[in-house]
Amino acid sequence: MNSTTITNAKERIEHIEDILSSVAAGDLDLRIESEFEDDLTGVEQAINLLIDDLTHELKKSLKLKQEMEEKLMKIQEQQKTILQQQEDLMELSSPVSKVWENILILPVIGTLDSQRTQIMMENLLQKIVTTGCTTAILDITGVPTVDTQVANHLLKTVTAARLLGAECIVSGISPAIAQTIVHLGINLSNILTKATLQDAMIYALRKNEQLINGKVVLNQIDTDEPK
Amino acid sequence: MIELVSDPGWELLEELNIETEFDIVKARQSVRQYAKDAGMGIVDQTRITTAVSELFRNMYMYAGGGVVRIQKGMYEGHPALVITCMDNGPGIDDITLAMQDGYTSGQGMGYGLPGAKRLVDDFVLQSEPGQGTSVRVAKWK
Ligand SMILES: Nc1ncnc2c1ncn2[C@@H]1O[C@H](COP(=O)(O)OP(=O)(O)OP(=O)(O)O)[C@@H](O)[C@H]1O
Ligand SMILES: [Mg+2]
Repeated sequence: MNSTTITNAKERIEHIEDILSSVAAGDLDLRIESEFEDDLTGVEQAINLLIDDLTHELKKSLKLKQEMEEKLMKIQEQQKTILQQQEDLMELSSPVSKVWENILILPVIGTLDSQRTQIMMENLLQKIVTTGCTTAILDITGVPTVDTQVANHLLKTVTAARLLGAECIVSGISPAIAQTIVHLGINLSNILTKATLQDAMIYALRKNEQLINGKVVLNQIDTDEPK
Repeated sequence: MIELVSDPGWELLEELNIETEFDIVKARQSVRQYAKDAGMGIVDQTRITTAVSELFRNMYMYAGGGVVRIQKGMYEGHPALVITCMDNGPGIDDITLAMQDGYTSGQGMGYGLPGAKRLVDDFVLQSEPGQGTSVRVAKWK
């Protein structure tokens, strides 16, 4: 037998070309079918092995890609949760409550960044409007650092509350923070301050008493009038 | 960025980037902890923390962030905490004006820089328009 004889050479090479272009187009299930045993068979088998390897590698990288995408999604979800938690915390940490007739308390805890301060201020002003309270105590015992920005926000909140007819008392300024504010040079003398929350409460209750007494007088005048 | 040269004897405690408001909080907490570790009392801790808070906020607001270097070592003969803030922002045109009580180019109170200076034992500010701003503060017991 002549070793250079290749049976049906033209058709088989065309078949190889077909398979290769299909593989290139992404169809990895195809293989070269060799019905003859001659010099071209080795090439055909080698190409089939190559396609096998390629299929294997591709599957591996697809799996890797999928894993990466899943991980990415997980991270994105976690990030969302963290953001959500941060927001929750923000709302949680500015609870305004009516503790007594006419008196609101806002305990401020943690760090006052501009976003939180904004939410805090809105909550407080809203509550002043809905409850009609005329005294609001802002307790800053839980605020570790009072810098110019925090002081500025406090001043703005107090001024806005005043416009709505409520008086704010800021309590819980520690001696260290008091000294620091003085050195910073900020003038907080327009704000009514009390050392502790308790002092602020006592002040607010006294004021309440006077208000109630005042109301009694007003009511008497009211009932007297129709006569 | 304007490099303020370090004394080779100073020990680097931490270097942080300020990019977000959350970074300001973290950096401030770090400084407070180092002040505590250095044996400073609550008043001094509060002073240095508030001073750097002003500088961090300025970097964040006017320069879009910057770098903070926290070091400790001998400063003018005292064992001190040294904090350097450097940014690549627009720089300050008129430093004398910026250091004045009540001067602000924005919506602030204008007490950040002069207030910070009063709260620390040494205060160095270098700034060039277009080259950024660098501020170093030192606090000792
Ligand atoms: N890192 C900086 N880069 C560019 N400009 C700055 C920087 N720091 C301060 N300035 C300029 O200096 C001015 C004064 O700064 P300072 O911190 O004293 O006041 P403020 O930031 O305006 O207000 P406050 O700090 O009281 O909230 C600023 O308004 C700003 O124009
Ligand atoms: Mg400032």
